[in-house]
Amino acid sequence: MEQRLNLMLSKMECNKEIVLLKKALERQKKARLQAERILEQKSKELYDSTFHLKQANNKLENLLTEKTSELDGVFVNIIDPYVVMDLGFTIINMNSSARDFLGYDNRKEHINLAKLVHKDYIEYTIKSIKNLMEIGVLKNYRSKIRTKDGSYKWVQINSSLIYDKDLKPIGAQGIIRDITKETEIKELLNEQKKQLDIIVENSPLGIILTVDDKIIKANKAFVNLLNYSENELKQFYLNDISTSENKEENAKLIADMNTGVLDNFSTIKKYYKKDGTTLLAKTNVSVVKNDSGNIEYQVSVIEDITVQKELEIQKEQLLNELEISNKGLQEYAHIVSHDLKSPLRSISALATWIQEDYKDVLDDTGLQNLCLMQEKIASMDKLIHGILEYSTAGSSDIDTVKVDLNSVLSEIKESIYIPDHVMVVAPKKLPSIYADRIKMHQLFQNIISNAVVHIDKEEGLVKILCAEQDKYWLFTIEDNGVGIPEKFYKKIFEIFQSIGENERSTGIGLSIVKKIVDRYQGKVWVESKLGEGTTFYFTIKKQRNGTA
Amino acid sequence: MNILFIEDDMIETMKLQRTISKLKLKHKITEAKNGEEALDILKPENTLPDIILLDLNMPRMSGIEFLRILKEDAKLKYIPTVILTTSENRVDLLECYKIGIAGYVIKPLKYEDYEVKLHRVLSYWEINELVKG
Repeated sequence: MEQRLNLMLSKMECNKEIVLLKKALERQKKARLQAERILEQKSKELYDSTFHLKQANNKLENLLTEKTSELDGVFVNIIDPYVVMDLGFTIINMNSSARDFLGYDNRKEHINLAKLVHKDYIEYTIKSIKNLMEIGVLKNYRSKIRTKDGSYKWVQINSSLIYDKDLKPIGAQGIIRDITKETEIKELLNEQKKQLDIIVENSPLGIILTVDDKIIKANKAFVNLLNYSENELKQFYLNDISTSENKEENAKLIADMNTGVLDNFSTIKKYYKKDGTTLLAKTNVSVVKNDSGNIEYQVSVIEDITVQKELEIQKEQLLNELEISNKGLQEYAHIVSHDLKSPLRSISALATWIQEDYKDVLDDTGLQNLCLMQEKIASMDKLIHGILEYSTAGSSDIDTVKVDLNSVLSEIKESIYIPDHVMVVAPKKLPSIYADRIKMHQLFQNIISNAVVHIDKEEGLVKILCAEQDKYWLFTIEDNGVGIPEKFYKKIFEIFQSIGENERSTGIGLSIVKKIVDRYQGKVWVESKLGEGTTFYFTIKKQRNGTA
Repeated sequence: MNILFIEDDMIETMKLQRTISKLKLKHKITEAKNGEEALDILKPENTLPDIILLDLNMPRMSGIEFLRILKEDAKLKYIPTVILTTSENRVDLLECYKIGIAGYVIKPLKYEDYEVKLHRVLSYWEINELVKG
């Protein structure tokens, strides 16, 4: 037993060990089972979450695709040119608008947007890019860029950077707007404004722009006219610096302009300069209306006529004085001629009476001297007559009537002495012209009698001809007399210049001719061949538009 | 005829007197040195002349001034007045005719011509019926 016991004991011992082992094994088994169970659970959980993830991922992927396609749609559908660039400004993507606009296609060629910028804008572009890099956006960048066909276009670009997930910039996108037309119009406007400014600023006339009579702009000429600066002028209303010469009329004109009856008017105004002096100026006022027809501005153009006005007044005074003195002179000529003629008549009468009463007492020399005395008296009388005629020849009070020159010629032939061997003829009928009859008589008579007197041929001929010109009548009086040396062609028309041998010539006749021709705005000249004859030419300006 | 001769120049008066006596004309000449004197002579109590020969340029009262007074007078305006002057001024001529004259004679330079002219003027008025009184 013992043994058995022992054995048993040992067996028991052994069994105890086995039991322990068994128990441990059992525990292990249990633990493994538990672990397996946990693992199994975990696996399931893992599976579940994987499944969920997968699902979420799918969802996300869908979302992303959606968004991408959405973006693609936007990208394609943007009307304005749209480009995506890398940081070196090489175009990665562009829409069709951009392709059309630039002429380039990123799918076919390498395009660097920065290289298309016009050289004038490179500096500005560099600055703009720096700005973009720093703050991530660039707004209203404007420059000129060269398109593929070589032409330049004005662009406005709004741009922003594109970042990766780490917020590192990887590129930029930009919308380009074509502002070529807009810019060209603007440039044109600027150019025109500049040109206009040049005209306005260089105008010798003062120009001011007013709104409701308040000055808002004045050009240099006006500034110089009044000596105020433009800024000083802008403080003023028109009434502060000017008054109208005729207030009532001016008020009416302004009222008419405000009601739209008038668009502009001209008036004389007095302007006050900074130094307190005044100036007189012709002022032309025009209105500028807006689309709805209301007055927007008034433009006044101011011309300083102070000097002009003074001159005008001076001229008027001079003319008046001249007229008075002319009248006085003519009056004087008449009085002097009367006062000279009267004693001459007395002397003549007395000489005649001595001759008559004492012809038995006087010897031949005495009688001859009395004759010489009479001759001298006669030539002096002629001279007085001539001077009087000359002094009244240019007088302003002349008639303008229809004068038949044929009848004038007949009168002359009757009133002057024409020797039998001289013929005075008008081969063609002379015209009737509008002029002063007495002056015409004087004019023709003086030339004709001059011609008649200087005939030395056995048969004398004086021919009067007329030719009608556009604005003048041209007359020629031709004789076959002694002729005039060329050096006297001018001198004969000067007063008291007698060139003939004839002692009774006063040297006034042809100067009267000149004076009358001058009065009719014509010319008189002479052509002559010594020994063969002389031709006098003169013109008379047609009166009343040349009707005759 | 009774002639009132208004003239300030002595020689002119002598010319007329000589002409009258030389041509043996039977006219009575009354002389006046100027317009004022002439108006004195033309006072109502005196017999009025048949014609007047009037010079224009005279001192104190010119011929034209005298003529105006004459032609404004209801009675005196009937006396034919012939101007005898050296003035060829058209203004004078027109003015005289405007006021009313019976003739305008320019004094010629030569005495012989004067005689002829005056003879004709006087002969003409002699054959006319005159107002008288």
